[in-house]
Amino acid sequence: MRRSWKGLAAAGVVAAPVGVGVVYAAAAAVGLVGVSRPDGASGQRVARVLAEPAVWESTLWSLWVASASTILAGAAALGTAAVFRGPGRLDRSARSAAVLPLPIPHLVAGVLGLLILGQSGLLGRAAYALRLVQAPADVPALVYDGWGVGLILTLAWKEFAFLVLVAWSALAERGAALEEAARTLGASPGQTFRRVTAPVLLRAMLPAGVAVFTFILGSFEVAALLGPSDPLPLPVLTLERYTDADLGRRSDAFVLALLGIGLAALAVGGHEWARSRWPDLEG
Amino acid sequence: MTTGGLVVGGLEIGFGDAPGLRAISFSVARAERVAVVGASGSGKTTLLRAVAGLVPIHRGTVVVGSRDVTRLPPELRGAVYLHQSPVLFPHLTVGENVAFALRLRRVPERETLKRVQELLTAVGLPDFAPRAPRSLSGGQRHRVALARAVAAAPEVLLLDEPLSALDPTLRDEVRVALLGLQAEYSPALLLVTHDLDEAALMADRIAVLLNGTLAQVAPPAELFQRPDSLAVARFLGMRNEIPGRVRSGRFECALGSFPVPAGISAAGELVGIIPVDAVDVVPSPSGSARVLGVIHRVQGTSVLVSRNGVELEARAAASSTPKAGETVDLRIYPERLILLPAIA
Amino acid sequence: MRSRLRLLMAGVVILSAALPFAVLAVGSVAGEWRWPALVPSAIEGDAWTATLAGGTRLGPALLYSLALGLATGVLGTCVALPVGRAIAELHGWRRHLGAGMVFLPVAAPPIALGTGLQLTSLSVGLGGTFQGVLLAHLIPTTGYLSLFFVGILSVWDRRAEDEARTLGANPRQVLTRVTLPMLRPSIAAAAALGFLISWGQVPLTLLVGRGRVPTLPLEVFGYVQSGQERFAAAGALLLALPPLLALGAARLAARDVDVVPV
Repeated sequence: MRRSWKGLAAAGVVAAPVGVGVVYAAAAAVGLVGVSRPDGASGQRVARVLAEPAVWESTLWSLWVASASTILAGAAALGTAAVFRGPGRLDRSARSAAVLPLPIPHLVAGVLGLLILGQSGLLGRAAYALRLVQAPADVPALVYDGWGVGLILTLAWKEFAFLVLVAWSALAERGAALEEAARTLGASPGQTFRRVTAPVLLRAMLPAGVAVFTFILGSFEVAALLGPSDPLPLPVLTLERYTDADLGRRSDAFVLALLGIGLAALAVGGHEWARSRWPDLEG
Repeated sequence: MTTGGLVVGGLEIGFGDAPGLRAISFSVARAERVAVVGASGSGKTTLLRAVAGLVPIHRGTVVVGSRDVTRLPPELRGAVYLHQSPVLFPHLTVGENVAFALRLRRVPERETLKRVQELLTAVGLPDFAPRAPRSLSGGQRHRVALARAVAAAPEVLLLDEPLSALDPTLRDEVRVALLGLQAEYSPALLLVTHDLDEAALMADRIAVLLNGTLAQVAPPAELFQRPDSLAVARFLGMRNEIPGRVRSGRFECALGSFPVPAGISAAGELVGIIPVDAVDVVPSPSGSARVLGVIHRVQGTSVLVSRNGVELEARAAASSTPKAGETVDLRIYPERLILLPAIA
Repeated sequence: MRSRLRLLMAGVVILSAALPFAVLAVGSVAGEWRWPALVPSAIEGDAWTATLAGGTRLGPALLYSLALGLATGVLGTCVALPVGRAIAELHGWRRHLGAGMVFLPVAAPPIALGTGLQLTSLSVGLGGTFQGVLLAHLIPTTGYLSLFFVGILSVWDRRAEDEARTLGANPRQVLTRVTLPMLRPSIAAAAALGFLISWGQVPLTLLVGRGRVPTLPLEVFGYVQSGQERFAAAGALLLALPPLLALGAARLAARDVDVVPV
């Protein structure tokens, strides 16, 4: 009994700052405290901010980017993990190389995105060398673009390293035994991949995928460097409002902050719910 | 009562919702070896861990070396516990592993090193002190773990399935090391195992743990010849149960009437057990029993026979093993008959 | 055919991992670089020479970030190890609750956390200070590292600790002579992870530091926003190097120190 109290108290210490931040943001959002003069509690600001189309455009846009880059990175990780899992030299080289971006700060990925995918970046120059384009204007806009293609590619490149590492450790842990069982039961290599390897990997990668999705949804610096100005990615919009020249709009940022935290909580909660409904893999 | 050693009295342990262990009382004298046998899940390991102080007990006392240690933490009990697969500390060398308990007690370094060398020599690994644990074979690691345990100079050594994780070829190696160490340092030795042969080979006495309590504690020969109850007999794998009754000094059953062996007081409805090696088959064309099948084992050949509707397993001479379908005569040695009350 | 495809895929994987660092290196010394040339027509080393001569903000920022990262890694590990152990000792729903709680600081968007904490940090006099930013960096770090230790310690093999107890070690001796030495590789990994979380952090530094705490990522961010690509590339390379060195060191030190079963 005393032990459980101690464990939860310890967890509480680590979680407390988030609680302080959320409580403060909530108090500021309804006007109890804030950058502008506190003017008593009211839900007016919350209602006004949540009624702005720009806010919802930013939210949907950020959700799109997070989903697309997570799925792209996950699919690439799944394929790479399945192909390069052997003990051979090629496999080991691919494994060593694939995890290189893992510890690199996201900001570095953002700089790379600009240098490679930008309008005058290396990709456009390479396209010219291959006679695919004739002038800088012909290079499709991958950065600051409405669909966020450059941002998605950059984030997928960065998160691929993490997901492929998770996939490899899942394969190393129980892949071989399950696949051998499937093969002896009469499955072809292709069937084994579709019916055993891929489902097992997906299930093992899901928690990591949710973590990546949540992280990208809230990540600021790469979106600030590569995202469009309309709509602004949600984290960028949050900071923009927070530093708005109009002091009256600064507290809007707290509503957006709560929106961001809410979305993260929804993703994590949804994942826990899905996991509780699926049978455990460890059977 | 013996001086030193281990005395467990009235031990009671719950395991969650399960009934757990109750009324466990036994003792192990200095230099004695007692093996606790029981089915898997019967609580053998829990019993050992409770003696070591690693599991809380509900009731009862644990006395180690005439000191009541029931309320003491594991490190003050003088009882060293070894897991089925004992672990060597991976961050220490073999010598440092053996020195672990000595360093805890701040034994002077010169003496520590001397003692480590003695113990490693005693387990046949005199040159292994500087090696890393991961460079050792399974049997070598086991022997180092034993040396490390004995270095703590325990009153009691608690071994959980000490040989069952080892390849059969390594068992002798570890058993020899264990018996050698015990002969030299004389701790009381309590081991648990599911393997009766191992228990009989290693222990002076065997304690049978059935349904959460000790059903019988006896030397191997006595246990195998005189099990206390049908439950113990069945646990020991005894076959050839025949219901019958005792009337005027004779056990009457479907196989005939046999004198009750000397020294046994029995009356009324009972179950007789005729040990397999107390029935011989003798080939005979006009025999009263029919051979149902032949069972070959490493220890010898036995045959399954049927007489008067009773099926028996009997010993066959290797030279003249009958074939299925043949008729044989049975020669029963009534002095080996075991008579036990039927289980209600 | 199959092996050709594998070779092609391996090429893509290796190139996509290695090429970016070459791009940064070239970018950091690129002088005139007209479209569509694949390489710059002139080399300009000023980003590096100026940095070495103390003429850019990159050098001091690098040292500042190193100090901040080391402090975050060490302090974060010191907090997270006991927290992770306490949570790992919980059972059933309590462990899920505890793990969920320490997951909060990891999942909360840093920009949202930063806006909520900026004024709080100001009101206690920590806004715009090293200590304030350190505390801010410790928020996601302690959460992440606690989860890391919960993961390790929930499957921790207690046999070595049990045997040490019966060999005569009291709980404190078990901790210092068995548990911590056995955890040493994980502790080193945790400190490195904590360093990395601080090392790449932008939004929390921006908000709690109020622009007065000059970390390397903030300087790089500033160079990018002002269009000084050469300096941004040099800074990005400086940002990439310590993590790569750490990864390399981790690989070298990966002589696994697992429990040795007998």
